[in-house]
Amino acid sequence: MILAALLLVTQVAVQDPRLDRLDLDTRSAVAAVVDSARVARLPIEPIIQRALEGATKGAPGPRIVAAVRKLAVDLGTARAALGTSALEAELEAAVAALRAGATPEVIAHLRDVRRPPLTMALSVLADLVASGVPADSAAAAVLALAPKARDADLVEFRRAVERDIALGAPPGAATSVRLNAGALDVSGGNTTTGNPNNPTRRSRP
Amino acid sequence: MFEQEDETVERVIQHLRRSVAIDPGLDARVMREIAQVPPEGRRGRPLWPLLAAAAVVATVLVARPWNRNAASQADTLQFVLVAPQAASVALVGDFNDWDPARSPMQTAHGAGIWATVVRLAPGRYRYAFLVNGVEWRADPNAPAAKDDEFGTPSSVITVGGRGS
Repeated sequence: MILAALLLVTQVAVQDPRLDRLDLDTRSAVAAVVDSARVARLPIEPIIQRALEGATKGAPGPRIVAAVRKLAVDLGTARAALGTSALEAELEAAVAALRAGATPEVIAHLRDVRRPPLTMALSVLADLVASGVPADSAAAAVLALAPKARDADLVEFRRAVERDIALGAPPGAATSVRLNAGALDVSGGNTTTGNPNNPTRRSRP
Repeated sequence: MFEQEDETVERVIQHLRRSVAIDPGLDARVMREIAQVPPEGRRGRPLWPLLAAAAVVATVLVARPWNRNAASQADTLQFVLVAPQAASVALVGDFNDWDPARSPMQTAHGAGIWATVVRLAPGRYRYAFLVNGVEWRADPNAPAAKDDEFGTPSSVITVGGRGS
């Protein structure tokens, strides 16, 4: 118990030197958020990166502090939905999905139907919404594909929907059409491998 | 001479043929003594099998082959931006502490196609291009970051892990 307390005090006392890029007031406030996150066993690297992003972009201190506080809260919500064993990358992706409009229930459901890691599935959900797909449609599509689709399949699905939207298709309709085509492919056993950011197209018979 | 030697040999033979009386409790006493020796005193037992087993366990615990961690699944990715008028372009994001000096982009023969390569572990990253040190640009070939709290455009990239 004493050892744990000493360890905790030591960790809190040591401030990340990268935060030196912030002004004194902002640095103190961000360090307090980081310490709170550490005590709550939340990942601190995303919080530090958000603060550094704000510093590099020249954002005012109060805006940086508000951003990192909101991120810490959202990380807590994401962990409540995904469980304590969730990876840092999964939590970050879950935050993006939450901010895109997915509910914690959707994220928890995704955890139940798909093998971890859930990073790509959650990211695809967030990116679909960013492309204009309604949040409920994006969530329904990802949940439908999640049990069988591989990460690369999900990325290809997202890119296909984005292409259709760019060509003028309504986002919701594009999602439905691609979901049906993707469901046929997944159930047929075809899979795609490779770089998820540049997936090769699936061969069709 | 030979008779004398024969007698000597005969006496030796007779001596050796005498039965030797051995205490029947000897074995039990010897085993009891061995059992009472502390572990560090057992010189005859080699330690290398124990050390080898410990080394194997330590190696497995450190390497954790069941946990295909970020480093083992990292992807090498190329980022490209077409900016013919730019004098300099830097790639900044969650993967380099948003430090423009860490990932300066290069252009081939001044064609205005700027590129750099970074190695990323599985995860979701926010990033942007910093043109001429002042102008922020999102990646036109990647999803936009929806939660842009600092008033400048950013993009996101997700590097998949197992199953991708």
